[in-house]
Amino acid sequence: MELGASVLENISLAGDVAHIPDKLFGKFLMCACQGVLLEKHRDAVADNPAFKDLEKATLKSAYSGLVTLILEAAKHDTTEQSISTLLEECKYTPERIKEFTKIFTAQKSHIQLLLGKIGSSFPHIVDVDWRLDYYMKNNHMEKVNSAVYLISLKTEIPGEADTRDIQFSCSLEQLQDLVGKLRDATKCLEKIAQV
Amino acid sequence: MTCRKFQDGGGGQNHYSLPSEYWMDLGYKGGDLGYQTFLYSNETEIRRIFMFLVEKLPKETSQASDEPMGSSILLQRAISTEVATQLSAAWTPPFLKDKGIRSRAKPPGWQREGACCLQHYHSCHIKTPVDVGNLSVKIPKELRAYYNNRMPYVTNQTSRHGDTAPSMMETNALEVATQQDWENEWNQVGLASRLSQQEFKKRKQERLLKLIRERLLQDNQRREKSGGLGAAGDLQQLLNSIESQAGEAAVKTKGSRFANTEKLQYGKDEEKTMSQVGAAVPTKDTEEEQERKRQEEVDGLRSELAQVTSDLERLDLEVRKFTASRQQMEEAISAEQRDSEQKQAAHSVKKRTLDLLPDAEANIGKLQSVVDNSAQRLVNLAKQWENHRGPLIEQYRELRQYNSKRESEAQKKLEEIKQFRERMKEVADDARRKDELQKQLVSEYERMTKDVNRSAYTRKIMEIVSNIKKQKQEIDKILVDTRSVQKEINSLTGKLDRTFTVTDELIFRDAKKDDGVKKAYRFLAALHENFEQLIKMVEDTGAVVREIKDLEDQNFEQLIKMVEDTGAVVREIKDLEDQFHAVMSPVGATSVDGCCLVIGHSHTPLLLVTATTFILR
Repeated sequence: MELGASVLENISLAGDVAHIPDKLFGKFLMCACQGVLLEKHRDAVADNPAFKDLEKATLKSAYSGLVTLILEAAKHDTTEQSISTLLEECKYTPERIKEFTKIFTAQKSHIQLLLGKIGSSFPHIVDVDWRLDYYMKNNHMEKVNSAVYLISLKTEIPGEADTRDIQFSCSLEQLQDLVGKLRDATKCLEKIAQV
Repeated sequence: MTCRKFQDGGGGQNHYSLPSEYWMDLGYKGGDLGYQTFLYSNETEIRRIFMFLVEKLPKETSQASDEPMGSSILLQRAISTEVATQLSAAWTPPFLKDKGIRSRAKPPGWQREGACCLQHYHSCHIKTPVDVGNLSVKIPKELRAYYNNRMPYVTNQTSRHGDTAPSMMETNALEVATQQDWENEWNQVGLASRLSQQEFKKRKQERLLKLIRERLLQDNQRREKSGGLGAAGDLQQLLNSIESQAGEAAVKTKGSRFANTEKLQYGKDEEKTMSQVGAAVPTKDTEEEQERKRQEEVDGLRSELAQVTSDLERLDLEVRKFTASRQQMEEAISAEQRDSEQKQAAHSVKKRTLDLLPDAEANIGKLQSVVDNSAQRLVNLAKQWENHRGPLIEQYRELRQYNSKRESEAQKKLEEIKQFRERMKEVADDARRKDELQKQLVSEYERMTKDVNRSAYTRKIMEIVSNIKKQKQEIDKILVDTRSVQKEINSLTGKLDRTFTVTDELIFRDAKKDDGVKKAYRFLAALHENFEQLIKMVEDTGAVVREIKDLEDQNFEQLIKMVEDTGAVVREIKDLEDQFHAVMSPVGATSVDGCCLVIGHSHTPLLLVTATTFILR
């Protein structure tokens, strides 16, 4: 995890007792986490009357520092130990470090979920409906007698609320081929998991 | 020389095999080695040498295995554990997940599946107050007022709230990258230039500005050059063509050269242009007349042109001639002037000498004194100059020395700074490496199963050891017993032998006298023989019993093996039966009992099928 010089400076501002008193620090950090996570809390610090008396310019700097730290730490899945060494370098008191790690660890998985949302993807198969039809005959042939599978893959597409169907029919051999391919994919994934 | 070579070559190879000693020192054991090995090489020897050399090569692979794993491997491991946990989770239908998020029990938390809520990476510029915490920097009142009252918080700056996280990350990454870039540049170029950081930056800025200015100027010039034929030229061209066409007779030779060339170039288009521009010029003459007129015009123009050209050439020649004659004249004038100046100077000297002639002696004396005076003055001046010069030169020398010393000191300091920087980098690298190693070790330690109970293992081992000890003691006891029994048997055998010999002798002595005793002796001999046979029999029985035991053991082992083999055979038979059934079952009655596809999920679009069963009947 690497942070720029101005970010580090802002983080130390947030840890300075002269700018943010001890009893407000937890609330402030919580506001930073909520501000990143939820849209309705994006202006939480300005709305909160507890921070009314503090100097806003410093508060804004400190806020940006904390937000960056939270995001980067969640992105790199940084351990508590390395966070506390970083905070020590920014002249945090042990109590503040403890408070930070307590609040941050509780929120980390939420922030990671938020970060996991960023990206692009092909349509993603999440479910499947199937039906087996028995094809008996047609106008050319009196007797066909073969099985026909109707498959409908449900896919999720980024940015769309509903799933979209991909429908196709196939014979037994074709389905077996598909299943074989899927099995290969599974094996690939298992191989990755085994390293 | 040639002779000596021959001698050496024929006499022995000792002289030539000098390098073999070095090879021996290096540890080569392939035998005698000399120039002849390389000059008249054979395959096996060269192979041996190459093998030796290859073994001597520094082994990189062994070192590489010792080196700590990089962060990429750690990342790969983290990925594989994550994939493993996600694989182990059962499939959940999408309607049971809230926006693609499902909770999991081990490790506790949530994970995202599917792609329904993904959003593209999109970032905006984020503003933060600058230098607020730094008291030494004075912030203008207006800026501070903006910071305090108007500037929104960072989470409130992007138009969509979802862009906050990417924007913040990008801002940070940008700063880090800029910092690294600057550090690299400063280390490579900046330090060597011996400027302070501000100066270096300023100079760089100036250079860049100059570059930009030059580029812009060049571009502008190029545009201007091509501009005559460009967009601005179009209008001009049209105007020119109209003008020249309208007053064709009048302008004949006037019109600018540009216009003329234009006319030549666009002559074909003229008619068209004219018809477009308007019917101001009526077509009076027939085409033939026009043609003739044009021809005449062209001829007239051509002759005029030829005349003008010849005139021009003549005039040019004349001008050149005049210029040459003017130069000659000027040179002559200057020579005359120089001559007259010389003559004037000579005249004035002569005049003064003639003036002085009447009172020659007094004048000579005066002149002498004047000369003496001036000589005296010259000497004085020289002395004074010397007086002034000495200290100044000394001072100059001192200053120069001082300067050079300072320069060398500065150089030394610069070197030191460089060294310190290198050391700093090294130390930082070292620290980072160690950090990585520590991380890796920690992760490895975490990967290791922790439920291994060391003390339990030790206790078990101790128990086993004590058991073995006990068994060994028992074996020892039995051995001692056996030995004592052996001893007893030996002593008994000895006693028996002795007793027998004594008895034998006694009875044998008496047997000569008495017949009954003779009989007894015979009996004794028979008895002895019988008993010997008995003992032998007993020993044989023991051996046989031992053999039987061995055979029984072997038998048991074989029995176990047989049982296993039977099991395998039985299984094979079953398989064969199944196959047989499958082959024999009627093909018509085919039905698929069940088919189910289970598709797993992960952040990436990978598909997993956990089970598909087709049962054919």
